[in-house]
Amino acid sequence: MRIVVDEQLCKGHGVCMGEAPEVFSVTRKGELTVLQPRPGAALRAQVEAAVKYCPTGALSIEPGE
Amino acid sequence: MQTTQDAAPNQPAKVARRGRPIPRLSGGLPLVGHLVPFVRTAVQLLERARAECGDVAAFDVGPKKMVLLTGPAASEAFFRASDDVLNPSEAYKMMVPVFGKDVVYDAPPAKMAEQFGMLLPCLQDRRMRSYGEVIAAEVERSLESWGDEGVLDMYEYTKVLTNFTSSTCLIGKDFREDMTDEFARVYSDLERGITPLAYLNAHLPIPSFRNRDKARVRLVEMITHMIKERRRTERESDDFLNVLMNTKYKSGAALSEHEITGMLLAAMFAGHHTSAVTAAWMMLELTRKPDLYGRVRDEVFGVYGPDGAVTYPSLREVPVTEACVKETLRLHPPLFMLLRVAMRDWEYDGYFIAKGTNLIVSPTVTHLIPEVFADPTRFDPDRFGPGREEDKQPFAFQAFGGGSHKCLGNAFAMLQIKTVFAILMRRFTFSSYGDPLEPDFHGVVLGPKQPCRVRYRRILPREAERFTTGARERGAKAAPGGVSSAAKTPPATAATAVAGQCPFTAAPSPEAGSDGGAR
Repeated sequence: MRIVVDEQLCKGHGVCMGEAPEVFSVTRKGELTVLQPRPGAALRAQVEAAVKYCPTGALSIEPGE
Repeated sequence: MQTTQDAAPNQPAKVARRGRPIPRLSGGLPLVGHLVPFVRTAVQLLERARAECGDVAAFDVGPKKMVLLTGPAASEAFFRASDDVLNPSEAYKMMVPVFGKDVVYDAPPAKMAEQFGMLLPCLQDRRMRSYGEVIAAEVERSLESWGDEGVLDMYEYTKVLTNFTSSTCLIGKDFREDMTDEFARVYSDLERGITPLAYLNAHLPIPSFRNRDKARVRLVEMITHMIKERRRTERESDDFLNVLMNTKYKSGAALSEHEITGMLLAAMFAGHHTSAVTAAWMMLELTRKPDLYGRVRDEVFGVYGPDGAVTYPSLREVPVTEACVKETLRLHPPLFMLLRVAMRDWEYDGYFIAKGTNLIVSPTVTHLIPEVFADPTRFDPDRFGPGREEDKQPFAFQAFGGGSHKCLGNAFAMLQIKTVFAILMRRFTFSSYGDPLEPDFHGVVLGPKQPCRVRYRRILPREAERFTTGARERGAKAAPGGVSSAAKTPPATAATAVAGQCPFTAAPSPEAGSDGGAR
């Protein structure tokens, strides 16, 4: 899977970091870094939670490597 | 903000220098256009504009040229436009006397962005995790004076409650504890100065605007006193006021007391009434829909039992409650219009929109489009459930706006209202008092018209046990504290099972059915 961020929608709430800290990092200023743009299957549940609970709907998952 | 064209009212083609003419709303008067209905009954005016003209509708309000954009596609264009094309600051000048000069919408764009950035840490996930308990404690505290049964005005109650929760979470515990009657009075004067009239001219010499200005002066005094007190006692606390007192602009300058007051007010205004109306509407809707009421109660008893603590992770386990909050926001969005001003000539779908035009997006109107939300006037939380997911269409559900200016407090609001219901529904049984349920169109946040009373009766320990056992037998899960599993429970099962359990379900309401059968 590949993580896609809609930069226009992300506001830096950091919910994704709360859900999947190995994959997302968000500073207090709200700057998001995707630590693992193509996380392994073991992280799928966490990443799916991050996508689901993102308050601005800025995250999505694309299939593939 | 003057528009570049000099079209007379009701002359369709003039707006369109290029491209298609924008359909114009009928009935505008010379010179004033639709000024009177805009000030008095803006929502109906917008509804009529959509009905008559479709996704794009033009009308005049005094000297201002307005264009209403409704439906997901037109809304998306609005929300995705950058600030140098469609700008919110120009449009929210009416808030300047409230928040203050040079604060948020009145600040230059870079400064405004810096100021909103200062607000962000309070609303980030790491802070949010502690808010659930704070809010729960406030709700419990608010119930201490209730007695075993009675009648109360739901909106009056939620206004007071969310004033306390927002101020504790966003400003600080000492602020909340020191909150006097004077504060409530002054705050209310400030609020009453925010009307559609202020949008046209926020400085008219009328009593409500004079009181608003006096109130703001007094508030600056009160907050300045508090800041001095904190500086004097060198008290450190982990709250928004403290953040603002210690934050500096990139330039190195500290915030003035005037700015701090303005930022606190911006946070309060954004989070207070909007949450208050939503919680009130939701309770009023639920007490009219016993099936649904029973499902929500089943869910919270199933998850929390009689006395379980409301925690951040457990609030993920209440999909029925969450869907009800969302449906409340769909049917009763707190803000009925969101505004931008075109900073340059702009085009949407072949329509030419001249520089200086005021653009409106209306969550109230878009949420009632039947092609977007099936049977739109029906309160039906299952529309968000598996298989339907009507909210998944981009920019269809816009109670929190969208795009780069989408509400920062979205998650906070959802958390707050779910917490309120997780407590209320386990402490008391509520039922309708029978007041008509209709919006109060006065003001810019649309609450229910008062009085909007409900009856309440305390749930005794034995009864709470019974509700818990019943709920768990019916399949609502106890809070596992981990990743959501209850979200996969089809809500329909709980609904069918619970009908008849609630003391008020003698005749289950057909409109609260879960199968969407009315369509």
